Amino acid sequence: MPFRRPLLRGMSLAVLLFCGVLALSACSTSMPMSTVDPQGNQAQNIQDLLFPLLWAGLGVFIVVEGILVYSVIRYRRKKNTGIPAQVHGNMRVEVLWTIAPALIVLVIAILTFQTQRINADLVGIEDALQIKATGYQWWFEFEYPEQGIETATDMYIPVGRDIVVELYAEDVMHNFWVPKLAGKTYMIPNNVNRMGFRADEPGIYRGQCAEFCGESHAQMGFRVIAVSQEAFEQWLAVKQTPPEIPAGDPQAGLEVFNGRGCIGCHVVDGNDQAVGQLGPNLTYYKDRTTVASGTLPNTEENLAAWLRDSEAIKPGNLMAGAIQEGSLSEEEIANLIAYLYSMETSVEQPEVR
Amino acid sequence: MTTLDQPVEQPTAGTVSPPTKQIGWASWFSTVDHKKIGIMYMVSAFIFLVIGGIEALLMRIQLGVPNNTFLDQDLYNQLFTMHGTTMVFLAIMPLNTGLGNYIVPLMLGARDMAFPRLNAMSIWLFIFGGLMLYASFILGGAPNAGWFSYAPLTLKEYSPTHGMEYWIMGLTLTGVASIAGSVNFVVTILNMRAPGMTLNRMPLFVWMMLVTSFILLFAFPVLTAAQIMLLFDRNFGTGFFNPDAGGNPILWQHLFWFFGHPEVYIMILPVFGIISEILPTFSRKPIFGYAFIAYSGVAIGFLGFLVWTHHMFAVGLGPLVNAFFAGASFLIAIPTGVKIFNWIATLWGGSINLKAPLYYAVGFIAMFIIGGISGITLASPPVNLQQTDSYYVVAHFHYVLFGGALWGIFAGAFYWFPKMTGRMMDERLAKIQFWIMLISFNVTFFPMHIVGTQGMPRRIPTYAAEQEWAFWNLLETIGAFGIALAVLLFTWNMIVSLRAGQRASADPWDGATLEWSTASPPPDYNFATEPVVHSRRPLWDAKYPELSHGGKRRGKAKKGNDAEENVDPSTIHLPSPTYQPLVISAGLTIFSFGVVYLGTHPMIGIPLAVVGLLIFAFATVGWVGDAYKDRDIVH
Repeated sequence: MPFRRPLLRGMSLAVLLFCGVLALSACSTSMPMSTVDPQGNQAQNIQDLLFPLLWAGLGVFIVVEGILVYSVIRYRRKKNTGIPAQVHGNMRVEVLWTIAPALIVLVIAILTFQTQRINADLVGIEDALQIKATGYQWWFEFEYPEQGIETATDMYIPVGRDIVVELYAEDVMHNFWVPKLAGKTYMIPNNVNRMGFRADEPGIYRGQCAEFCGESHAQMGFRVIAVSQEAFEQWLAVKQTPPEIPAGDPQAGLEVFNGRGCIGCHVVDGNDQAVGQLGPNLTYYKDRTTVASGTLPNTEENLAAWLRDSEAIKPGNLMAGAIQEGSLSEEEIANLIAYLYSMETSVEQPEVR
Repeated sequence: MTTLDQPVEQPTAGTVSPPTKQIGWASWFSTVDHKKIGIMYMVSAFIFLVIGGIEALLMRIQLGVPNNTFLDQDLYNQLFTMHGTTMVFLAIMPLNTGLGNYIVPLMLGARDMAFPRLNAMSIWLFIFGGLMLYASFILGGAPNAGWFSYAPLTLKEYSPTHGMEYWIMGLTLTGVASIAGSVNFVVTILNMRAPGMTLNRMPLFVWMMLVTSFILLFAFPVLTAAQIMLLFDRNFGTGFFNPDAGGNPILWQHLFWFFGHPEVYIMILPVFGIISEILPTFSRKPIFGYAFIAYSGVAIGFLGFLVWTHHMFAVGLGPLVNAFFAGASFLIAIPTGVKIFNWIATLWGGSINLKAPLYYAVGFIAMFIIGGISGITLASPPVNLQQTDSYYVVAHFHYVLFGGALWGIFAGAFYWFPKMTGRMMDERLAKIQFWIMLISFNVTFFPMHIVGTQGMPRRIPTYAAEQEWAFWNLLETIGAFGIALAVLLFTWNMIVSLRAGQRASADPWDGATLEWSTASPPPDYNFATEPVVHSRRPLWDAKYPELSHGGKRRGKAKKGNDAEENVDPSTIHLPSPTYQPLVISAGLTIFSFGVVYLGTHPMIGIPLAVVGLLIFAFATVGWVGDAYKDRDIVH
């Protein structure tokens, strides 16, 4: 029988692969968006539910696939095998294998409903820090209503404090997802969603829009920056005061900013002309960890590349319609960067986790 | 495909069927024969499957390495939209419909489907609908909002091309085809069973096609209605889903998934039926727990309508709603488990003939179990919030729809190919293909569980190297080419076997159901005399009368039926070939093209729509005339 050995080998390989996978994904701490490296209560609760389900699944997999493969090999047709017994069924085993999976899913359902309640209650915590997040094509805006602060792409939170995020969308549906801190929640036009979580360790956590939202959906990232309570208060205090623009290149950049139409879409606190609401708030831009909503590290080269030809980095973005390749001279770009980089809160940023 | 090998003793159906139209290439355009229509379904669906596969390969090349620029982002979005739409609506569904079309009347002992001309209309509407959807690539861009087309992204403001209109109207055409097809299946199965074939004696494949047809009848109109609402939102100023007009985009999701989840069962239940036919045949045993398999199929059909919101756990409908739908989703695990256990029990203690159909059937069970297990974690709302819209869910539904549905369809293809063509497929090639496909399928889709767990979202054309997803993605890409090789081997096997395969007898696998009691390929009229059925395994009883019913009713199965009374085939009246279904479908397709442009280019849209409707009207009159000519045929 040429069948027997390859089948066994193939099946044991599949089982090995499956186990290897579990081991690998369980210890994937370096992955910036791992769902099994929780750093906050919501994500932790989910993982605590996931692992029992996976172990149960692995058990079912081994038992059922094992019996399947065994019966194919054990009962393969041999020479002189007659016609086997014509068994039509057996009520007792039918009842047994109806009840057995029913019991398994009953346990899974109970565990599920418990975790669901615990995570749903995170939304109702009274003294939680309230943040309003809005999704646009293709970036995230964050407002701190009680503190009167608005920013984009980087969401600062204090470590150890409960956070409740109110989710909105301005154009199409988006989805707020920070795998190490919390599961996904939709942002839906004309609807409000709430989700609650807490970060237990300081760090820069990677977030991503998880609902397909158009051409540059992949370039719609954000960061949650969890800092100590003191650093957070320091950040709040600086953010509440408008930045001072030093003389020289930054001032020249400010003129470009006001003269070339940037103000039509972007807000910069303290700049009375910059009142546009279509693009992200650029106050204290030097603090941003990334250019183009989580797409590139915030370096001079990347920012210059963005200002030169944003279409190449994020196709279909709104700014590409207003500022095409060649619209800005190299000098204007350098001055704009000097201007944007002159605004800095100097709050120390935690490490990327 | 059978044009290559028409049976020699092609019977001419006498008075009503001019012989010239029964053979030759032109006959395919006017045929109302369920077997030819079944083959047309399968061949066109297989071509769409290959096209959808090529789209998948392009996407896999793009994702093979981080920061790749092989495809531009918008084209990538078009490709994944078309890949999903194609595989669901133009490949797996019609492959099942095609198999059902060919096999169900044979299993019932009938001469054709209940409504042969309607059947012909279904195939043409399906082909035209698929072609219309693909016409969008050259007419301004394919749809690019994902196969479930969530509003408001699909509204005019955010999807300004006509791609969405082509998606709406193309799928509406295939939807009409499917609904008409379901009516046909339901009426055929309920009314045209051979004498003695009670519902309780129907082959399980027929049972599953019956359940599937009912699901489709209730689910598909919801999709069509939602699509028409979307069409009006886009073109005629309504605001069902438009938040700016006071509409609610969540409504689209409810409507879509109220169709979309039952759709999963529309794709998988016929395959459950295929497996339930193959396992007994190749184990030389009756199916274990016939009633439990049949009724668990019915249970799945019902429950399938109560779980649609598990696609929407992250939407924020509240913990209570999510808990209800999670509970209903968990429940589905029970009838599904019952089926799997009964299949294994059918193998248990059998005399298993290790032929290609059995390989694929066992492969189906093995892969489907994995899809079922990942389905359990996805059905748990808290876990779902991490896994949904990530590659984990991509892995899950490929294990269900490829590892499940498509593997089962391959099993069915190897099983019934001899019946359809009169030739055996090459066993060695089939087994080589099996191992290549088993390995590359798992190499492609298993790592998707891993990258999904590592946070890779679905529907992204590019990703950064620092995400550390590159290794698994490259592996997946390599696996995808392995799958392509397996499909190529299958194609090659079909072509070679059609031309030079070993001749198949009427009953090459020692089968138990009626389709194996007639010639391979069956004559136009299927059965010269109407078979009479006394049990679930009519042919088995005839072959092994001493073994039937575990000996309980020994001797009762009448051998007399086999002794063919000499019926002269020329006295058998079959429905006449007619071009009207083709013309009607063409009219509806032209009308649909008109609708695409009604809102934006009325000068093009209105004339096309009017011409299409006129053709439709004339063809309807012609259809009635043709039907009148055949009034003396009694099924």
